[in-house]
Amino acid sequence: MHDDEPSLNIPSLLTLAVVSYFVLRWFFNRDEGSSGGRPRGRGNVVDPAQVEQIAQMFPQLSTRDIMWDLQRNGGSVAATTERILAGRGLETPPPSFQPQVVMPRGHAPVPATSTATPSKADGQDLISRYNLSARIIAENEESQSPASTSAWAQNKEERQRLLQKRRDEMILAARRKMMEKGKGPAQ
Amino acid sequence: MAQSVAQKRLFHEYKNLSTNPPEGITAGPVSEDDMFYWEALIEGPGGTPFEGGVFAAELKFPKDYPLSPPTMKFVGGGVWHPNVYPNGTVCISILHPPGDDPNHYEHASERWSPIQSVEKILISVMSMLAEPNDESPANVEAAKMWRERRSEYEQKVRDEVRKGLGL
Repeated sequence: MHDDEPSLNIPSLLTLAVVSYFVLRWFFNRDEGSSGGRPRGRGNVVDPAQVEQIAQMFPQLSTRDIMWDLQRNGGSVAATTERILAGRGLETPPPSFQPQVVMPRGHAPVPATSTATPSKADGQDLISRYNLSARIIAENEESQSPASTSAWAQNKEERQRLLQKRRDEMILAARRKMMEKGKGPAQ
Repeated sequence: MAQSVAQKRLFHEYKNLSTNPPEGITAGPVSEDDMFYWEALIEGPGGTPFEGGVFAAELKFPKDYPLSPPTMKFVGGGVWHPNVYPNGTVCISILHPPGDDPNHYEHASERWSPIQSVEKILISVMSMLAEPNDESPANVEAAKMWRERRSEYEQKVRDEVRKGLGL
């Protein structure tokens, strides 16, 4: 370095250092800020327990995609689950994404043995179980009810009603068929 | 609304089973207030003595579903079958957790894992009705009858099918 060189003196070097420090700081803060204010201040670290939890719920997803989403939403399992269930899917992380986590693979979940309770099954038929005797009487007088359609409603009560309708019709249709078969020549 | 992971997954499965139900299967929670208690109806598979029948079963899910499998129990009339306990509880490999293999004859792939689903359980139970697994009888009496007096077994099943439909 030559002291007589006018373009490279100490003050200008200092200025350059200070400016580049602020530019770099702004640059890295922007990356950090776009992930929505993570509570944990450390860069790419993802909690392996959270990743495991989601991977076990949705085994079809790649752990890399899960880690990317978790990292971006600040490690919220609920938000990632919500996103998957809403059908939006997960984004594919950029190739530069290097998750800092070692997945412990193949550790078995807690085994739970169910012991059979020694009670006898109740000897109740499906007609009395679902209170269908009134329906059978009504059906004999009226024409046959139309075939059920698969359906889904936004409303909880409506869904309940549709499920019950499908269930009742499945039993009644089986009963009708069985009765016709019973009337036939060969049983 | 604070919903657990298990509740969300069950709701998701319920929705899939309702919008795209598999042949001969109806299943859902008895009430959406308790997503851990379901009831399912399965049609008896064709070409078997169970043909034409409809069988009701209750499914109870653990809080850590889908890590642990549910239990399944036939209700409303017994199901006379080698792999169904006299109280209606179903004994089938897909309902056994991966770590639990007391008899060492099941492959890990046949047992429960979170990749399985309610739909797969019910389809497995349907095929179990058609083809009993003689290796692990839950109902020893039924297994013996199935092995030694097949026609008597089939007649008993047919009678129960009719009885279940209130005939």
